[in-house]
Amino acid sequence: MKPAICVLALLALSAPAQAKDITIGFAIAKSGWMEAYDTPAATAAKIRIDEINAAGGLLGRKIAVVEADTRTDRAGAAKAGLDLLDQGAQMMIVSCDYDFGAPAALVAEGEAMISFFLCAEDVKAGIQGVGPLSFSSSVLAPVQGATMAEWAHARREARAAYVLEDTFIEYNKGICTGFEWMFPQLEGAAIVGRDSFKNDDASIAAQITRIKSLGDEPDVIMLCSVMPGAAAAVRQIRAAGIDSLILNGSAVDGSYWLDATPGLSDFVLPVQGSIHGDDPRAEVEAFNRAYEAKTGARPASQYAYPGYVLIDLWAKAVERAGTVEGAAVTAELEKMSDEPTAFGPRSFSSELHHQNTALMQIVEISDGKPARIDEWRISQPVPLDVLMGK
Amino acid sequence: MSLQLVFDALSLGGIYAIAALGIALIFGVMNLVNFAHGQFIACSVFALILPSADAVATMGLGALPAPLLIAAILAFGAGLAVAAEALVFRPLRNASPVALMVASFALGILLQNILLVAYGGRPKAVSLWPQLGSPVQVLSAQVPLLQLLVIGAVALILAGLALMLKRARVGLEMRAAAEDFDMARMLGVRANGVISGAFALSGALAAVVALVLVTQTGVADVRMGGQIMLVAFIATVVGGMGSLAGAVAAGLALGAASALLQAFLPVEARPFRDAFLYGLVILVLLFRPQGLFASVGAKPRV
Repeated sequence: MKPAICVLALLALSAPAQAKDITIGFAIAKSGWMEAYDTPAATAAKIRIDEINAAGGLLGRKIAVVEADTRTDRAGAAKAGLDLLDQGAQMMIVSCDYDFGAPAALVAEGEAMISFFLCAEDVKAGIQGVGPLSFSSSVLAPVQGATMAEWAHARREARAAYVLEDTFIEYNKGICTGFEWMFPQLEGAAIVGRDSFKNDDASIAAQITRIKSLGDEPDVIMLCSVMPGAAAAVRQIRAAGIDSLILNGSAVDGSYWLDATPGLSDFVLPVQGSIHGDDPRAEVEAFNRAYEAKTGARPASQYAYPGYVLIDLWAKAVERAGTVEGAAVTAELEKMSDEPTAFGPRSFSSELHHQNTALMQIVEISDGKPARIDEWRISQPVPLDVLMGK
Repeated sequence: MSLQLVFDALSLGGIYAIAALGIALIFGVMNLVNFAHGQFIACSVFALILPSADAVATMGLGALPAPLLIAAILAFGAGLAVAAEALVFRPLRNASPVALMVASFALGILLQNILLVAYGGRPKAVSLWPQLGSPVQVLSAQVPLLQLLVIGAVALILAGLALMLKRARVGLEMRAAAEDFDMARMLGVRANGVISGAFALSGALAAVVALVLVTQTGVADVRMGGQIMLVAFIATVVGGMGSLAGAVAAGLALGAASALLQAFLPVEARPFRDAFLYGLVILVLLFRPQGLFASVGAKPRV
């Protein structure tokens, strides 16, 4: 009897994707400009999948991965989703960005299958946009803006804030929305001016002239922007001699852009975990090392982390539901309230498949060097009507 | 405030004028709207750094001392444009303008994808001459040194180009070709020489825009150049297709209008700045469909 079991076990190990495996489909950009953002989070997801498989799998079955390239294209994303259905995907992981992930997520939704955005931070990447089976494990953009508002008020005595919004993508709008909701509620705090620019503006000289024409330099400038416009704006603001504390969202995490403004100081952002080796939680650094072992380099930004977290949460929900079937797993996910993960607690509800509050690590850049200096969780969750931009 | 605004407007308009000139030069000699011009700009920016998909950029040409660096990047831009002409546009010389335009689109996409393969999709930081950002007091205005340099360089380039077009033989040939290409050829103007010359100039102008952009913003991104290319193309249309002076004037005007709209629109309307800008463009075209300074060749002669 024993040799037979051994043979069976060997067969199970050697066969790559058996019919009884649980199959996760990745509809992500493997080419085009989104690739730089999707690959780290997808790699992180696969690290968690490997860990689960090494620990005996999920519901006693191995997790297999199938992939399709969206080519950073909306139509390509829908096609990738359909392609993954043909390959037997039972759960769909889609591109980081709402616009590029939603077409594949809608394919999954149509098949009553769960979809997770790799790192979307727009409330539409969930119930409100795709449908009741769609999730994101990242932290909503307005939470990042609100975190910056409350932290700067409490820790840096920020009272006068200037809001500079890049109109390029919804994410930027979300950051500013969260900041503008939280900051005026705080004692003695006021927003003294607002302006907007476009991410690819060749120059923001007119916007800077407006800031300089204020009587007093604002305590903080809430810059709601992403690369490359954010780096360009910071360079021009500092070059003009404006020394206010600059706040931004998580999107500018990573040190790769810091050469754009040599010796940058007084720049603060919130992150889900620190890539700089100084996160107080041992699990975060353990992940950074696992990522380095798998790819040869540490994560370039915090946007690898949500990939790891989403597999973690989904796998827990599958274990509890005893099935991968969409509705049952969704019910288990929606029961999660402050569910512990390596990167802080996560919650889902039947109204919201996103984080409307989160423990965030605060990273400050001083003399061109980023370091984690603090952590902060906003005193109240961002209400749904603010998230919806009402 | 007002003098400050004049500098803001002039420096942005100057960049647009140089880019528009690059497009108008090529349109003048071969009726081609070169939609790859934006990618010429992007390629010239990336030529500063070594190809690699790493997150942190390593300077390549960008590590050279300033005079050598400027010469090298201008030569790179010119070389790229000349190569594009020889490999892509010369075989299509007798094709319809639409086919040429589509070819330029295809070339642009090809160049962008080459950049993606060589450098990856993530924007990179390139700190070129950060000291140029420091502000200088000019009367009542505080102007970044770079803005002054841009305004000065634009004036110099325009003066040099005007002189070349008026005095030098190749300039004369270019003007003749812009006026009536077939006639010019019959009168002994060598088509290949003039067209290559126009492409080389256009590529060098793209490199100038690239240097200004990267010094201003400190970043290299594969998608950069696209927005400037669009504005520059609109400037050539507003200026009158084929008119070099028109392209420069319209480029300056668009930049100035953009800076003024940013300064004077109410905060709620500011995100729609470009809608106002292009609304103005439509208004101009309604009254002068042939553009502000239409060249003689552009008018139909019956």
